[in-house]
Amino acid sequence: MSEPDKYSDEFLSAFVDGQLAAEEKERVYLELSRDEALGRRVCELRGMRELVRAAYENPPLPSRLRRAPTIGRRAAGAAAALVLALSLALGWLLQTPAVSQQPPDQTAPAVGSAADAPPAAGVTGAPVRVVIHVSDSGRAHVAQALDEIEGLLKFYRAHHQNARVEVVINGDGLGMVRADAAPFPERIRRLQREYGNLVFAACQNTIDRLRRDRGIAARLLPGVVVIDSGVAQITRRQHQGWAYIQV
Amino acid sequence: MRNLLLLLTLGLFAAGAGAAGYGKQKVVYHINGDEPKQQSAALGNIQNHVNAVGRENIDIKVVLHGGGVSLLQHVKNNEDMRSKVDQLKLQGVVFNICNNTLKAKKLDYKTDLYDVAEKDVVPSGVAEIAQLQAQGYTYIKP
Repeated sequence: MSEPDKYSDEFLSAFVDGQLAAEEKERVYLELSRDEALGRRVCELRGMRELVRAAYENPPLPSRLRRAPTIGRRAAGAAAALVLALSLALGWLLQTPAVSQQPPDQTAPAVGSAADAPPAAGVTGAPVRVVIHVSDSGRAHVAQALDEIEGLLKFYRAHHQNARVEVVINGDGLGMVRADAAPFPERIRRLQREYGNLVFAACQNTIDRLRRDRGIAARLLPGVVVIDSGVAQITRRQHQGWAYIQV
Repeated sequence: MRNLLLLLTLGLFAAGAGAAGYGKQKVVYHINGDEPKQQSAALGNIQNHVNAVGRENIDIKVVLHGGGVSLLQHVKNNEDMRSKVDQLKLQGVVFNICNNTLKAKKLDYKTDLYDVAEKDVVPSGVAEIAQLQAQGYTYIKP
C-alpha cells in the first residue's frame, strides 16, 4: 500500500529532475519497485516534464508519443491542464492501430474498419471492449493465454461483433512479448496480422525495473506498444467501461 | 402508474439493501485453473461471499473454462467438493461452462461433467465474462 504523505511532490520532482543525492535516489528506486502508486506519481511527473519541454522548447516528442497522430486535436478539446493532456495522449496512444508498426509488407486490416468483419456481413452492435491481463510468461501459461485471446477474437468475428481487445502485459508476463524470450513470437505475429482489433501493450514500469534490477534492456516484439503502467492502464480501461479478464 | 410501480420497486430494493449492509451484488467468478485444491478453495470463497451478503442479495455466476472445466469432473470423485457445488446451486449460484473448451477437450457435458444442463453451456467462457461485466457484474478471479 502506498503512503501518500511519505514523499512530497517537491521531493519527487527533485527525483525526476535528477537532483537528489545518490543515497536518497537509491531509496526512491527501492520504494518504486515495491509501490505501484508511487510509480504512477513519478510517471505523471515525468510526463509533465516531457509536455512542458515540448511546449516551451519544442524538441521532438519521445517516440512513444510520436505514434499518436491526433494528440493535438484531443488535447485541444480538453481544459488545457497538462496532466489531463498527458492522460489523453496516453489513452489515445492505444487507439493507434498496432498494425501501423508492422513492416509494410504485412497486409492487415485497420482497427475498426469493415475489414474486421467477415466479407459477407458488416460488424454490428455497440463495441465490446476487453482488456486481458497477463502477468506470467511461463510457456504453458502463455499458450493458454494465447488460446483464450484467439478464441475470443474468433468468437467476436464469427458473431460479427464490433470488438477491441487489449492485452496488458506486466510483471513476470513481460517475457511473453520480449524479442529474446517470447515462447511463441510467431503466433503473436500471426494474431496481430489476422486481427487489426488486437493490441499487445507492455508496461513501462516493468521494462524500467528489468533494466534497473537485472541490467536487461528488453526489446519487444514488433507491433507491441508500451504503456506507462500496466496496473494504471487496467484501472483506466475499467473506468472507461472495458471488461477485465485475467488469464 | 408504471413510474409509481418503479418507484415502489426501487424503494423495496433500497430497503433490502439497507438491511443487508452490502446491498445487492452481481458477481462473476472466473475459474480457469485445473488444480483441484485451488478450485475447492474458490468454491469456499464463493460460499463465504454468499454468507456475507445474503443469498437473497446476491446473483453469482461462476464461469468455468479452460482448465477450470475440470472442476465438474473432479467433483464426481470428490464428495467434499461435490457438496460445496450442490450447496452453492441450492443458493442460486449458476455454473456456466465454456463450449469452446468442451469442444477442444472433446468433453460431453451430459456424461463427462457433473450435473450440467444445456442452458448452463455458453458459447465462449471469456466472451461470457466480458458480456456479464457489461451487464454490471463485478469480476472476481479467486
